[in-house]
Amino acid sequence: MNRRTIIAIAVAAVCLLAVPRLIVNEFYVNLASQVLIYALFALSVNLMLGYGGMVSLGHAAYLGVAGYTCILLTIAGYDQLLAAAAAVALSTAFAVLFGVLSLRAPGLGFIMITLAIGQIVWGVAYRYNDLTGGDNGLRHPERPMPFGFDIRDAESFYYFTLIVFAIAFFFLWRFDRSPFGASLMGTRDQPRRMRMLGHNVYLVRLLTFTFAGFWASIASILYVYYNLFLSPHALALQQSAEILLMAILGGASSLTGPIVGAAIITLVKNVVSSYVERWNTLLGVVFVAVIIFMPYGLVPGCRELWRRYQARRRTDAPDRKQTSEPAA
Amino acid sequence: MTTPALEITNLNKRFGGLPATKDVSLRVMPGERRLIIGPNGAGKTTIFNLITGDLTPDSGSVKLFGRELLGMPTQDRVHLGLARTYQILTLFPRENLIHNVVLALLGLKRLRWNPWSVLSGHADIYRDARAALDQVGLGDSAERIVLETSYGERRRLELAMALAQKPKLLLLDEPLAGLSHAERQTVRELLDTIPRDVTIVMIEHDMDTALGFAERITLLHYGEVIVEGTRAEVVADPRTREVYLGD
Repeated sequence: MNRRTIIAIAVAAVCLLAVPRLIVNEFYVNLASQVLIYALFALSVNLMLGYGGMVSLGHAAYLGVAGYTCILLTIAGYDQLLAAAAAVALSTAFAVLFGVLSLRAPGLGFIMITLAIGQIVWGVAYRYNDLTGGDNGLRHPERPMPFGFDIRDAESFYYFTLIVFAIAFFFLWRFDRSPFGASLMGTRDQPRRMRMLGHNVYLVRLLTFTFAGFWASIASILYVYYNLFLSPHALALQQSAEILLMAILGGASSLTGPIVGAAIITLVKNVVSSYVERWNTLLGVVFVAVIIFMPYGLVPGCRELWRRYQARRRTDAPDRKQTSEPAA
Repeated sequence: MTTPALEITNLNKRFGGLPATKDVSLRVMPGERRLIIGPNGAGKTTIFNLITGDLTPDSGSVKLFGRELLGMPTQDRVHLGLARTYQILTLFPRENLIHNVVLALLGLKRLRWNPWSVLSGHADIYRDARAALDQVGLGDSAERIVLETSYGERRRLELAMALAQKPKLLLLDEPLAGLSHAERQTVRELLDTIPRDVTIVMIEHDMDTALGFAERITLLHYGEVIVEGTRAEVVADPRTREVYLGD
């Protein structure tokens, strides 16, 4: 870990911790919580998209499985922690099944199967009135009291979300530079060669699918705690697509890209929409512009700009000793 | 009698109506250097793909040190000591050279499943990877990105990745293709330094360089073994002249 990374993490941590102090308005504090929740969704889908080269259009299915399980168990009178843990466990098990089915087909077939499974979960949520309340959705009784802390108000809920997010991000950051992460990126670029080097490409992908499902389930629990409500609209294809767009917009090939993408899309949806009627169009324009000028997304694009700027500064001052930054 | 390193019996593979290999049988003894020659489309690379499991044969058997390989996934065959290089380079172009070799080393280690430890912290793997690069003369280029290297360097990287795995049977698919005369000499000398506990089967077009390398030569034509024997026998055989040397 070089000095620049430590400084970046420290600055980000201070900023994130200071959010509720800087913006006292409850609406915006809630919005910050939403950004973190969506960022976790985007990070989890990016495990598959950016690291594994697997495009999933069914990521909202985890919100359905984990979300409804959590609410139903809580309503049934189970302990909140137990309900959440059971929901995550069930949803992660579902991810294994989801993965086994989707990984039967490569490429486009894979996308279509994930899409279909997402739609099946949506369909069940929509039609199975007795269980899910159908179109009316289900209400979660109340937010839990983790370790006796009250997270009912906006500020404390933000900190709760931040803690969960930080833990998740730490795991994903380790994943990014782990041997498994390296194998996964290898299977994305040269699956055939990876097999010939002794890697079990199928199992690498299935495990990644499961990891992604696990973190998406965690995000789903946060989503339910935040909204205290879940309806089929939240599991619709649009949700899956939006999560995917967040990762692509921010830069699927980077660890932090999906967070930036989630922040931008969530802000445009919630803030800009109150000033601009056609915020959907605006989002589209932003997306197209980013793809044209920074095809790899915002974070890698900005990094590239910065690198070029540095390179130009170096050639302007040729007598200065060149310092090469080790690749992160 | 010792078990052959590689024993292929009556291997058949058809692509549609076209037979790619026809009743191919091949025995390569441990430590042997075997050269497979034949014109384009003779089925040389197909045999490699059948050995590695990239393709599934219609019938026949492929044994590695007596162990039947058919029905086994490619990666399991690799764990039994099989390695290959490709005629068409298949590297990780955006990574640096050492990372390519590290991926090769990881393929045989349990560590590859670890999603938590930091890969760059495993000094032993990087030491082994660097040793493999040194072996092919790329030690000084370890940090360079594959895209920035020359074709000849990439060919040698292919070899380094295979050698790093310390295979028992090494399949080389035209390791000299596209190299300059000088580079070919370098790679040839490099191949000579590979210890004899590695059995090598090589496909090669460049007869001048390759002939000296192998003790035994197999000539394929239209998916069939036409001639097999020592270097002198195969060169002297009229069928070789007919098929390959173009008389």
